[in-house]
Amino acid sequence: MTVHIRGQSAVAGRSAGGPLDPLRTLIQAVPVPTAPLTFPSREAALGLALMDLSFRLDHVPRLSEHLTLMDRGHMSREISVDVDLDLISGRLRDTLLVPGEGTSLWVPVSRYSRRDLAPAVIRDSRGEVVPRLSHRDANRVTAAAFVKLLAMLINAHDDVATPASPIHQLRHTHQRSRWLIEAAITELVMVGAPAGQRLHTPLDHAELPEPVGTSGSVRKLALLGLDALFPAEGGHRLLMPFARLLQLATRQYILVAQLGLDRPRRFLSWEAPLLPAQHRPAPLQSLAKNVLPVNREFVVEYETEIPRAVKAYHLTLEVRQEISVRRFVMSSDVDEEFVEVLAEDLESVARRADRLGTHHKLLELEMQSIASRLAELGRRRLVDLAGYESYLARLPIPVGAPGGEQRRMTAEEVIAALSAGDCSLDVLAAFCAHYATDSMQHLARSGLAGPALLNIAAGLRAAQVGRDVTTDSDPREHGGHAHWRRPSADLSPQSTEPVRVVAFMALADEAPALIESITRMVAGLFLVVLGIGTLLSGGVAWLYSWRVAGGFVPAQADAVVAVLLLVPGLLLARLDLPGTKSVLGQLHRFQRALAAASVVVTTALAIVVGTVESDRTMTRFFQAALAVLMVILLCCLCEFYARRIHRSSAVPRSARVPRWLRDARRSTRRTVEPDDFFDARGEM
Amino acid sequence: MTSSANSTKSSELARIAAEAAGTYFSSVQFTLTHGPLPMTTLGAEPDKEDPNSWPTDFCHFSAAGLSVSTSIWPSAMSAFSGRVQIGPDELAEQPDTYAYSGYAVPNPGFLNQSTRKVEVLITLGTAHWSPTYRETLMQALIIEKLTGLAAERGSPVLHLHTPVAPVPLSVRSQRGDGSSERLRDAIGPCLRFSIGVDPQMSAARLDFETELAALAEEYGFGLKIDDQRLHRVRGEWFTIRGFDRERHRQARGRLFPEAPVHTPRRAVIASIVGPSRTGTTAATVAALRARGIGVLAASISSMRKTTFINLILPVAADAPGTSGAWTGSWLDALPWLSSVAGGTDDRSAAADGSIADWKVAVSPVMRCTYPPSSQQTGATTTGRVPYPIWLWWQLPHRTVDTPALLAEVQAAMEPHTRRCEIAYAQSRLCRGDVVRGRAKLIVMLSQEHRDHAAVQRLLTDATEAAQLRIREWIPTVGGVDPSKVRLRLSPRERWLTYADISA
Repeated sequence: MTVHIRGQSAVAGRSAGGPLDPLRTLIQAVPVPTAPLTFPSREAALGLALMDLSFRLDHVPRLSEHLTLMDRGHMSREISVDVDLDLISGRLRDTLLVPGEGTSLWVPVSRYSRRDLAPAVIRDSRGEVVPRLSHRDANRVTAAAFVKLLAMLINAHDDVATPASPIHQLRHTHQRSRWLIEAAITELVMVGAPAGQRLHTPLDHAELPEPVGTSGSVRKLALLGLDALFPAEGGHRLLMPFARLLQLATRQYILVAQLGLDRPRRFLSWEAPLLPAQHRPAPLQSLAKNVLPVNREFVVEYETEIPRAVKAYHLTLEVRQEISVRRFVMSSDVDEEFVEVLAEDLESVARRADRLGTHHKLLELEMQSIASRLAELGRRRLVDLAGYESYLARLPIPVGAPGGEQRRMTAEEVIAALSAGDCSLDVLAAFCAHYATDSMQHLARSGLAGPALLNIAAGLRAAQVGRDVTTDSDPREHGGHAHWRRPSADLSPQSTEPVRVVAFMALADEAPALIESITRMVAGLFLVVLGIGTLLSGGVAWLYSWRVAGGFVPAQADAVVAVLLLVPGLLLARLDLPGTKSVLGQLHRFQRALAAASVVVTTALAIVVGTVESDRTMTRFFQAALAVLMVILLCCLCEFYARRIHRSSAVPRSARVPRWLRDARRSTRRTVEPDDFFDARGEM
Repeated sequence: MTSSANSTKSSELARIAAEAAGTYFSSVQFTLTHGPLPMTTLGAEPDKEDPNSWPTDFCHFSAAGLSVSTSIWPSAMSAFSGRVQIGPDELAEQPDTYAYSGYAVPNPGFLNQSTRKVEVLITLGTAHWSPTYRETLMQALIIEKLTGLAAERGSPVLHLHTPVAPVPLSVRSQRGDGSSERLRDAIGPCLRFSIGVDPQMSAARLDFETELAALAEEYGFGLKIDDQRLHRVRGEWFTIRGFDRERHRQARGRLFPEAPVHTPRRAVIASIVGPSRTGTTAATVAALRARGIGVLAASISSMRKTTFINLILPVAADAPGTSGAWTGSWLDALPWLSSVAGGTDDRSAAADGSIADWKVAVSPVMRCTYPPSSQQTGATTTGRVPYPIWLWWQLPHRTVDTPALLAEVQAAMEPHTRRCEIAYAQSRLCRGDVVRGRAKLIVMLSQEHRDHAAVQRLLTDATEAAQLRIREWIPTVGGVDPSKVRLRLSPRERWLTYADISA
């Protein structure tokens, strides 16, 4: 199960698992040092520079990921990046110089989870292996960076010159407490603290009295100092930024490559550690997919984070040639922060509408600012929707446009719809058009200013308008390629929050599909049984009449048995049935069962022919076999019908596809869990 | 605070720390120059051989015939007591110019990159800029109130500047692109002020704006807020309240009944320097006002996490006013300023302790002058109106020094103007090793025209010619790749944004 740390850390109060809890635990647990830890200032500077660059990665203008679905449950990834060393500022470059040679830099190229321990071998465009900084060294410089950062924060604190304050004591008089914090940070960075787990320390095994003596007071002051430095409320609001830095440092590794300054623009690629699937759907759901004629698809979802500075991101997918990529859609949350800020603005204005109303122009400014942002969102998502529609139209089996006539709304209708919290794309697009034609100039006096804004905020969040959609551009059937570009005008320009990208892939068995062969086979067997029965009874009356005709038992039973055994055997041998572990095996599971069932029927009939000598029993068995084959044939036809439904489905039934897209296509069916979910965000 | 801002703030913290903890640097060094206009050397020429001697940030400001310049660059100096240190006046190479140098420890906890900027234009009068003592006190009170409002919400003051160019009232018939707008006056009794607000805390921003509007109503000043609509640029304003002359006059008279109503003839420049924090400007101005000292002109900005509060303070007509340059701590500076500027050395008005560790440089008393005229005083009848010209540039770091660039801009404007001075300039080192800057020039055209359209044409021609000349000059000096140079001069502030396309 994926652990979403970001959501947790946002709400985590200090009582229920504060953001610095692992550090506090270690302050209690590590031995109190008697001498300072010494890190060369060079290492600290290098660590800070690596940390800074690895968060932003603004020297990586392009990022590509090539995914290969190995089998059900494992995905291999090849990552390639374009690195431009000229984008690293001069002062950071001085810090990153590899000591001794002065012609190359240590450059962070990626971050990944500490759980992925497979080695990453980085190669450049010539295929040569690029030297890397070892994990141990990377951890060491990161620890040095934190120790330096702590010292800088203490030195810049307001209380550093106030005697008897914890900060002053940490800095000047009670150094052991500071060394203890430093030792705890170093330990934390070196050992790591996986998400979702409590740190396990020796303290868990001992019943300790109240802390007394020197060690107790040193630890107490260290904790007090931490509180003073990172107050939970007010102050410099440093707690969350620092805690987040520490959290990432303890959960992720930085992948650092040594790159020569002689070629500032480089292309690097490496095999990322194999990605295991995160969770399986509920057993009942899997069972239903496997025993009902639903022509199942195999749905894979992939989630990753890309740095906001990346200008282009390519995601390619490759599967076995026998499998078709029926849908490949990517969605990123690039405008999510913008929408969140807009929603909070809407709520704040709604709550203050009365106070703002006394300054009419101020309210108008706010309303205009909100309107301009709503209009921009409408415009952007409409472009996305147009891209998605053209994707549906160019599919091998195109999906038609939604039925019904396009609604055209007047300004009053738009305002009424928005006030009711309807933030569907129709309404937003109409709003955009009216805003652009200056019909929204006096909003402070309209019905929009007031509680209606709360509805709009809720509507925006529910419709997930902050998420865009990118579609497949690969003409091949067994591959997919989505090309995401950073919008030309970034709506949250100051943000360095990584962009979360989710890809939805529906894999299916398309024509020439196994189900077609199986249907032919079952139909063939049906005809064989029908033929033999008709010939033996001398007419077709046995098919509909309950009466038993004489001479149904064949004179030469061996020949009939041979036909009933050989024909299905030969037909079955012609089918290429895959192994059960593979994705194809999953797709064919039910169809394989159909084939097997039809063979079982004919084999059973062969046994009957060889052993039974009563006309009545023989007739009944032939009738029963024909009925069962008929049912199997019907199942095959159901599969065709289900495939038709899947093919004509306009929007994937996934919770990770933005709501506005599902609404735009009036998709009311409930969402389903994917068969495999891969999380490459590296925060596990 | 939601989680989404965390990563942004974390990476900002990492960036500040990484920059502050460079291999060789642990503090910043700055120089500060006070003097009368025209200042020929705005800053020291950097040593071109030593890449670390190039200033990363530069700020210049002039008003009432006096000017202040500040340069700042990283320094290896780490051992000095306190958070900021300033040396006595010793660097000046020219008479009447006073230069100081100092060091400061940056404050990595001052996170303001990820904040949303709210810019405000306050109108304190519609007449010609020559404030009286009473008006300087009123101005000080308003600065104190404004910065106090920001401080209450923990919002840092990103920038405060007065006097600035007033914005003419917009007329409905305008085309909207600014081409038919009335030309702005170069300076007027106006104040520009911007604060940073966390975009996630819109409640704080709305409260700030509401209280600002209430203040405007109380004191009768005009209030414009930057147009927050998407795709609107700097220099586009949204009027919240017009200037209420009568109410403002009454408020001034009620609050400062005893202050003289004539214009100060002498002034001192005080530069107050310290680590960036919120609430410092309000504390500074409040302490001065408590001693009866107003503010004639001000320029406040933060560079490298160090705040420079540059104030031009009026000197009372009866003050002795014969003192040399002075440097020292803030607490010692208050009695000194009181004695120099003729304020009351009121011991009971205790100084706020929040800036006790800040340092101050005070220039000697100097004569101040006021620009000749402006449109509103009827100067259009002679045509001798000073007009503002805005400049925006982006150059690779360590190629052309900002003072040299400004001097070249003045030289390039010379053929078209009879007077050209730099009212305000600021440049800073940005991501990607580029220096970005903005400046406002005050020019008086050599051809006198009363016709608005003719003046507009002249200004446009002059700026385009100058722009071409500077763009040709830069590669010859700094050896810069011309494709990396972006520079634009424009008589309209909001047209500067198009520099990216046109350059």
